[in-house]
Amino acid sequence: MRDSFLLRHSAKILGLGILCALAIYAASSLFVAGSYGLAAVPVIAAGIITYIFLSGRRYPIRWLVPGLLFLFVMVLYPIGYTFLGSLTNLGTGHMLPREQAIEQLLGRTYAPPNAERCSYLVFQDAAGSFVFLLQGRNTILVLDGQATAVSLPDERFVDETGDGQPDRILNYRRLETREIVALLPTLQQVRVVYEGVTFGIDSLTEFSVQMPRYSYDKATETMTDLETGTAYTAVQGIYTSVKGEEIYPGYRVWVGFANYVRLITNPQISAPFARVFLWTIAFAVLSVALSFALGLGLAMLLNDPHVRMRTLYRVLVIVPYAIPSFVTILVWRGMLNQNFGVINQMLMSLFGSAGRVQWLENPWVAKAACLLVNLWLGYPYMMIVALGALQSIPHELYEASYVDGASRWQQFRKITLPMLLMPLAPLLIGSFAFNFNNFNLIYLLTQGRPAVPNTLTPAGATDILLSYTYRLSFEGQRGNQLGLACAVSVMIFLVIATISAINFRMTGTLEELSKNV
Amino acid sequence: MYSRHSLIGSMARHALLLLAVAFAMFPFLWVLSASFNATDGMQMQQLIPPKPTLAHYKDLFTSPQYKFGIWLWNSVKISLITSTFVVALTALAAYSFSRFRFKGRRVGLLGLLLVQMFPQMLAIVALYVLLLTMGDFFPFAGMNTHTGLIMIYLGGAMGFNTWLMKGYFDTIPRSLEESAKVDGATPFQAFVHIILPLVRPILATIFVLTFISVYSDFMIASIVLRTAEQQTIPVGLRVLISDNYGNRWALFAAGAVISALPFLVVFLVAQRSLVSGLTRGGVKE
Amino acid sequence: MKRVVVLVLGVLLLAGLAATASVAGKLLIWADDTRTPIMQEVAARFTAAYGVEVEIQQVGFSDMPGQLLTAGPAGEGPDILIGPHDKLGELIQNGLLEPIVLPTAVIRDFNPSAITAFTWGGLLYGVPYAIENVALIYNKALLPVLPSTFEGLLTLAKGLTDIEAGKYGLLIQEPDPYHTFALFSAGGGYIFGYDASGVLNPCDVGLDNAGSIAGAKLLDQMVKDGIEVAGADYGLVTGLFGQGKLAAMIGGPWTLSDVQKAGINYGVAAIPTIGGNVPKVFSGVQAFEISYYSKNKVLANLFVKDFLVTKPVMLRLFELGNRPPCYLPALADLSGNADIQGFAAAGGNSIPMPNIPQMNSVWSPWSDALGFIVNQTLDPETAMKNAATQIRTTLGCP
Repeated sequence: MRDSFLLRHSAKILGLGILCALAIYAASSLFVAGSYGLAAVPVIAAGIITYIFLSGRRYPIRWLVPGLLFLFVMVLYPIGYTFLGSLTNLGTGHMLPREQAIEQLLGRTYAPPNAERCSYLVFQDAAGSFVFLLQGRNTILVLDGQATAVSLPDERFVDETGDGQPDRILNYRRLETREIVALLPTLQQVRVVYEGVTFGIDSLTEFSVQMPRYSYDKATETMTDLETGTAYTAVQGIYTSVKGEEIYPGYRVWVGFANYVRLITNPQISAPFARVFLWTIAFAVLSVALSFALGLGLAMLLNDPHVRMRTLYRVLVIVPYAIPSFVTILVWRGMLNQNFGVINQMLMSLFGSAGRVQWLENPWVAKAACLLVNLWLGYPYMMIVALGALQSIPHELYEASYVDGASRWQQFRKITLPMLLMPLAPLLIGSFAFNFNNFNLIYLLTQGRPAVPNTLTPAGATDILLSYTYRLSFEGQRGNQLGLACAVSVMIFLVIATISAINFRMTGTLEELSKNV
Repeated sequence: MYSRHSLIGSMARHALLLLAVAFAMFPFLWVLSASFNATDGMQMQQLIPPKPTLAHYKDLFTSPQYKFGIWLWNSVKISLITSTFVVALTALAAYSFSRFRFKGRRVGLLGLLLVQMFPQMLAIVALYVLLLTMGDFFPFAGMNTHTGLIMIYLGGAMGFNTWLMKGYFDTIPRSLEESAKVDGATPFQAFVHIILPLVRPILATIFVLTFISVYSDFMIASIVLRTAEQQTIPVGLRVLISDNYGNRWALFAAGAVISALPFLVVFLVAQRSLVSGLTRGGVKE
Repeated sequence: MKRVVVLVLGVLLLAGLAATASVAGKLLIWADDTRTPIMQEVAARFTAAYGVEVEIQQVGFSDMPGQLLTAGPAGEGPDILIGPHDKLGELIQNGLLEPIVLPTAVIRDFNPSAITAFTWGGLLYGVPYAIENVALIYNKALLPVLPSTFEGLLTLAKGLTDIEAGKYGLLIQEPDPYHTFALFSAGGGYIFGYDASGVLNPCDVGLDNAGSIAGAKLLDQMVKDGIEVAGADYGLVTGLFGQGKLAAMIGGPWTLSDVQKAGINYGVAAIPTIGGNVPKVFSGVQAFEISYYSKNKVLANLFVKDFLVTKPVMLRLFELGNRPPCYLPALADLSGNADIQGFAAAGGNSIPMPNIPQMNSVWSPWSDALGFIVNQTLDPETAMKNAATQIRTTLGCP
């Protein structure tokens, strides 16, 4: 007994030791690379984990550590990132951090009119240094960082092959085309300055004039265009001239809560808000209710040992779940086509032109179509979950109530349903939250349409809150506004979290936590 | 609860089930028929295509451009691995939430649920940066690796799954573990040897649900997996329909049909555990 | 048994492969599945000539701008990619593209409007290989003589339409703004007007001017006459045409491969005059672009200039994608190709789709308006006026 105790403990100590070593390795690499903030993360994490595993009081939390670790890194970090993003003006033209934008602008070059192009020869010595011979209006030799004019023939050059082209200079040997190609990534960084003009490689055979286009004054945050002389100052992440011209790329800046203010005061949001919000709630509630009803019904039918070929039915009925939804939603869309879809074709053959249902064009029918497709997509999940949960109800309860004379319906209402709702209530609430944000379905099936006539806002009849607000962010006046979309995510999260919290209270789900034996 | 049925009752049940099967299978039949279609139009097909052909299925596996076989293997592999780990992580956490009382338990449970509700549409950029950083330190878990992808999926493992399992654990009487404790077992040993075998239905449930959710994921896989050899089926197939006017719908349909098969197999195997009655013998309550 | 499973899974977990990215000394190219075959051929030749490794990654055409946005700055992007001109503004504003260096002589070998479509701020950002516009594609068996006016075409189409039998005379897909633009432009409708210096003025919205409303009324009439039918999307229209059940459609070169496969005797022609005016259509240009984040800019430039800008490659691109080439020597070789001539005739008066980000705000309200007209929910004038007002409101115009 003692030995296994020691063994287990030493395994634990060893494991913790390795973890701390890895954390220190990661932290030091990050520190050296300059991300000081990020470097603290592995250390803190390792510290907390070690504490949890060594403290007796925190024993229960040890069981949670693996799952929580992944949760923090893969779920909570993106949430934090999104929140931070909502405080910026991230979007088209403002995607880069400031240094990168400046770096890109400073790397831009221009060629003045009548700028010359030179052909060139490259020479390399054993140590890897280069010598260039540029042949344009002048012949320029670049040796040891100095660019001087020379005239051929020059005694430093040696023509070994007799083709008129120098093959060697001093101990530098001329490079062949294939060798030049292999070295291009390095060569393309080379800049030659001669008489105030900057040259750089721009193709396999030529140097061209590449004058820096902009100069940057850090103190006044001004970019000056050296070609035209215009000055651009930084305004909200974009360099703008006095006349309003902008140069790209811009960069992202903190804007505080400006995005949130925009959301709340935007008339395009507040006008249809009530209508869209109500539909979103209705859609989520009905989706959950309908798919739960169908899923539970099927689960009970397929749980019945007296129904033959249960396994075959189960597999057939689970098929909607087996195909990725972006395939099946498109198929449904085709089937619901007003004039050519198979559903209307069947209806029309039965009912004539009255069977031509405007599935995706009539506002109310489109809403029903969304619910129908969502039911098709969602009931397998409910069925699987219900099948599993049905197993947890002890048979003795049914036997006892049968002896007491209960009918099947009473058994269902008094035993099955309550005993199912206990573990499943949080899932139902979770499913509600999922459908509240079910952007995927709305986007693929209807894109929020049909549009509502005679309104000035683009909110369609089947738009849910998320799909509409995202659309506003991406179809706004300045391209994709990701910062705004992040703010949307945060606000919607607050809405749905509040609703769910209220739901939890009402269904007493959290109460169970204390009543559980 | 379940007694033998009368003939009418039996017929009624089968009728309902057949109706459900028709509802479930109809769109799938459409996809199936499209995969046999000689031409590519989605709209114009009839249920039985006029000139059925197996050419698309052959193309899938022999085409040098679309490495369907590799995608299939990748998808199955990643889904199996992720599901296994998810079941393990969730079971550990759920057991702790169910059996132990500790500070932060209520908050933790509530938090797990709420965290799932955040619209993760813009997680793309965040995950990108994260993967690149990870790839710098652990090249086998960075961009374009299956390890990195699986780790992202594991992040979403807790949440509803934990709640579901916890609820299930709650229905198992503690007396079983108590007697084990008397015999000198640690909680972990009791967990592994006594509890886990009892909760096979819920383990199977979580496995199946995770499998299909990972298998059909497109968003995250498309960020992480960059080369054709690494890609999964949703990412690979998407290329076929992403050009608005260049749809290769029939080939895509064939791919969709085949891609449905692994999940059906998994479900077939798992559903026996799903509905296995608990061996409730052992304790008289 | 269980332990073996765990072990195997663990080993599989570690079997991930390394990442790929723009690596100095090696070229990475993104191509969609239509163009991957030709890119691989060219890549092989490049490697043979210079010994530089080239990798082609297959990425969905419409996914490329979005993927470049995340992949590029992270160093995971390609060196060369392809893209449409209407996404150019967005990519440039995000600093994702590198100007391409082409000698003036080479530039002169290209269709000038294609070059303009990819010029921004005086610099060239793409080497165009395909230009596309819609034209009238008709079934020669059903329409042996093509009327010279659109009104004449409509009369014929009405005679040919028999919905019970599933036969149609003329269908415009969806209808969507891109395909119906001809109806609007003929009378003088436009999206954004140009100001005095030739720059697009996003507050000059022309979707509710007299010409646009006339076009909307024409569409409305087509619906009332039973010619245009709701729910006709791309797959449907091309499918019907391929089955010989549709006499004419307005479509682009991308439809041809399906039509040819179906064996229809078809013709491509300019869209007939509407109200006596020649309609303008949108042109779209596709080009090779170089990513700003490429580590091999000179090499990429070399690849594009010497290996892609050649007649055989441009002709092969045409074969694969069916779109008329922008490279004039290649186009000259195709002077006998009736389809190309037809599209050229239709595109004679084409205007490039505006590539400013404000276009994002235009498509939805406009297609909503078209939807109202086709479903007869609103009268054409109200629908277009509402759309224009909505666009002006979104863009914050006075």
